[in-house]
Amino acid sequence: MNELITKLCQSFGPAGREDKVRSLIIEELEKLHEKFFIDTLGNLVVTKGNQADKKILVAAHMDEIGLMVTFIDENGFLRFTNMGGVFKNILTGMKVIFENGTVGVIGQEKIKEPKELDFDKLYLDIGARTREEAQEKVKIGDTAVFLASFSQEGRRIMAKSLDNRIGCAVVIEALKRLSPLNLPNGVYFVFTVQEEVGLRGARPVSYRLKPHYGLAVDVTRVGDTPEPEFKTSVSLGKGPAVKIKDSSVICHPRVTSLMIEVAGKNNIPYQLEVLEKGGTDAGAIHLAREGIPSGGLSIPCRYIHTPAEMVDLDDVENSVSLLVELLKYSW
Amino acid sequence: MDLNGFLQEITQKDGVSGYEKNVAGCIFEAFSPYVDDTRTDNLGNLIFFKKGSREGAPRVLICAHMDEIGLIITKIEKNGFLRFTSLGGFDVRTLPGQEVTVYGQNPVDGIIGFKPPYMEKEKEKNKSVEMENLFIDTGLSRELADQVIKVGSVTAIKRNFLTLLNNCRAGKALDDRAGVAVLWQCVKEMSQINHEAHLYLVATVQEEVGIRGAVVSTYGISPDVGIAVDVCHGDFPGAQEYEVSPLGKGPVITTGPNIHPHLAKGLFDAAEEYNLPYQKDVSPGPTGTDARAIQVSLGGIPTALVSVPLRYMHTSVELVTLEDIKVAGRLLAYFTAGLNSAFVEGLSCL
Repeated sequence: MNELITKLCQSFGPAGREDKVRSLIIEELEKLHEKFFIDTLGNLVVTKGNQADKKILVAAHMDEIGLMVTFIDENGFLRFTNMGGVFKNILTGMKVIFENGTVGVIGQEKIKEPKELDFDKLYLDIGARTREEAQEKVKIGDTAVFLASFSQEGRRIMAKSLDNRIGCAVVIEALKRLSPLNLPNGVYFVFTVQEEVGLRGARPVSYRLKPHYGLAVDVTRVGDTPEPEFKTSVSLGKGPAVKIKDSSVICHPRVTSLMIEVAGKNNIPYQLEVLEKGGTDAGAIHLAREGIPSGGLSIPCRYIHTPAEMVDLDDVENSVSLLVELLKYSW
Repeated sequence: MDLNGFLQEITQKDGVSGYEKNVAGCIFEAFSPYVDDTRTDNLGNLIFFKKGSREGAPRVLICAHMDEIGLIITKIEKNGFLRFTSLGGFDVRTLPGQEVTVYGQNPVDGIIGFKPPYMEKEKEKNKSVEMENLFIDTGLSRELADQVIKVGSVTAIKRNFLTLLNNCRAGKALDDRAGVAVLWQCVKEMSQINHEAHLYLVATVQEEVGIRGAVVSTYGISPDVGIAVDVCHGDFPGAQEYEVSPLGKGPVITTGPNIHPHLAKGLFDAAEEYNLPYQKDVSPGPTGTDARAIQVSLGGIPTALVSVPLRYMHTSVELVTLEDIKVAGRLLAYFTAGLNSAFVEGLSCL
C-alpha cells in the first residue's frame, strides 16, 4: 500500500486535470479485474456488490489544489491564480511543476507589510528569458502543482496531495480486500474530480447513480498541534474520524450511528469530527435528487493544503478496516 | 388550538438544523387534520399534500423552514466545560448568559459562561466577544460529561415564549417557525374554500446552514410554482426606513431577480382584491431564503417570497406580531385559490 500511496501523491492532478491520477487508479483496477466506467466530467466509477439491494456511493476525490497561469509578461515571468484553497503566505520560494514537467519557482514582489501579500504580488519564474521562450513551455490556462518530495518518519508520512490521494488509496485498498467477497449491498466506488474547486464532480455522478447512501472518504483537519489555527478535537494517530458535520454537510444520523456501531463492534479506534471550515464530497452527494443520507470517513491530516501534508499510517490502516467492515455490513 | 397556541408550541420545541425531528412531530400533528397526505423525505423535509378540485391542475409548493439556529459541541475540556461552534449564524454578542439544552445521551441543562469583564486584561476590554472564548457549563465534571455528552452533541437555546402587548410575541426560533405558522394559517383557510390547484406545503430542513432542505424537496415535488415563506428585518430605533419593514403593517412581498414578476404581481393583486395590508421589498440578488434554491431546481421554477417582519433576527428574543402571520396565511390562501392553468401557462410569457 505504501508504494501505491507514494505513486498517487507524486502524480500530477490539479482540479480539472486528473487524467494521470485516474490512469494510475485504473492500473490498480485492472490488476483486480474490476470493471469501471468514466463519466463525462471524468469521474471514475466501479460498480460492485448486490445491485438488487440498497446502493452506497463511496467517494474519494482524485484532484489536488494547484495554480493556473493567467498572464506571461515580456520578460518571461508568469502570473497565476489559485485552483482551490491555496494559502498565499506559504508560496514564496516554493517550486511547482506543470503537466509537461516544466518546473518553476514562485517569487514575490517587494511589499511593505505582510498583509499586502496577495496573488498579484506573486509571480512564477520558469527560467525563461523572454515571453517567447516561456510560451514554448507554458500557455495561459496551464495548471501546476506543488513539487515536493515524499518522506516517511516512523509511522508518519509527509507528502503533497495526501488530500486526497490518501483517501483514494484507502478506497483502493478496501476494494482489494472486498473483491473476493459477496457484498450485501450494492457499492459504487467513485473517484471524483474537481472537489477542491467546489465539490463539482460528486454532484453529477450522484445524480446519475441515484444511490441510497453516500460516504465521502477524505482527510480532515486536526487540533493537536501547538496553538492550532483550526479548533477541532481530532488528533493524528487516534483513528479515523466519523464526520458529524463540516461546512458542506450535516451528516445523516443513520450513517454516523452505523459507522460508530461498526467501529465499536470491530474494535477499530475512531474519533468524532466537527469541522468548522471545509467541505467534502458528502456536501454534494446528500443534496442530489430527493436527498441522499450521507456521511464522511475522514483520515486525520496535519498541514492540509501545503506541500507537506502529514498522515499517520495507523490511521490509514484503521480507515481501511472501518471502510471494509462498513461495506460488509447490510445497511 | 389557535394560532397563538400553535406558535407557542412549535417555538418551545427544539429543532436545530439537521436535527428537526422534535419540532417536526408537533407540526405533523397540527397539519394532519387539514391535508390529504403526508410524507417525510430522506433529509427530513415534512411534505403535506392537499388535493385540488381538478385533475391535472397546477401544483403549488409553499414552504417555510422549520430548523432553527443552534450550537454543536466541538470539544470537552479538562474540567468538563464544553466548547462549541454554531449551526447557522448566531449573533455571538447575544450568547453569553443564555440557558441551553445539550442533547447528549439525554438532554442536559447548561448555561453559556465567559470570563467576567472585571478579569479582562486591558487589551481584551471593549472587544466584542468571540465564540471560541465562550463555553457551556453543565456543572458536570469531565468524567461525568464524557459519559453523556460527545463531540457533535447538538445544543439548543432555551427560552420561554413571551406574550407581549399589542399582539406581539417574542422568543427563539421565530425565524422561521413564524413562517410555519403562516403555512398552518394558510391550510386552515384553504380547507374552507374551493381551490383548483394541488397544494404542497413543506416544512423544510437545514435552511440556516445553506438552504439545503429546499433543494431536495423541490426536486421531489417538481412543482409548477414555488413560494417561500420566511422572515425579514422588522423596524427598530436607529434603522433606516429603507432597510426594514415595520411590524403590524402586513406581510412583505419581495420583487427582484429571484422572484417571478407575474407571481409578485399576482400576490399584490390578491392583497388588493381582498383588502389585506402588505408591504413591498426589493432583493437585488438571490435571496437568503428557500426561494433561492426553489428557483433553480429542475428546469427552473417560477418563485415568490412572502416574509413576516421580525425584529432581532438570530437571537433568542426574536419578535413578531400574530397579525402579520394571520394576514400572510390568508394572502397565500386567497392567492393559491385563484391559481389556475391559464395563470401558470402565462408564467412562461414574460
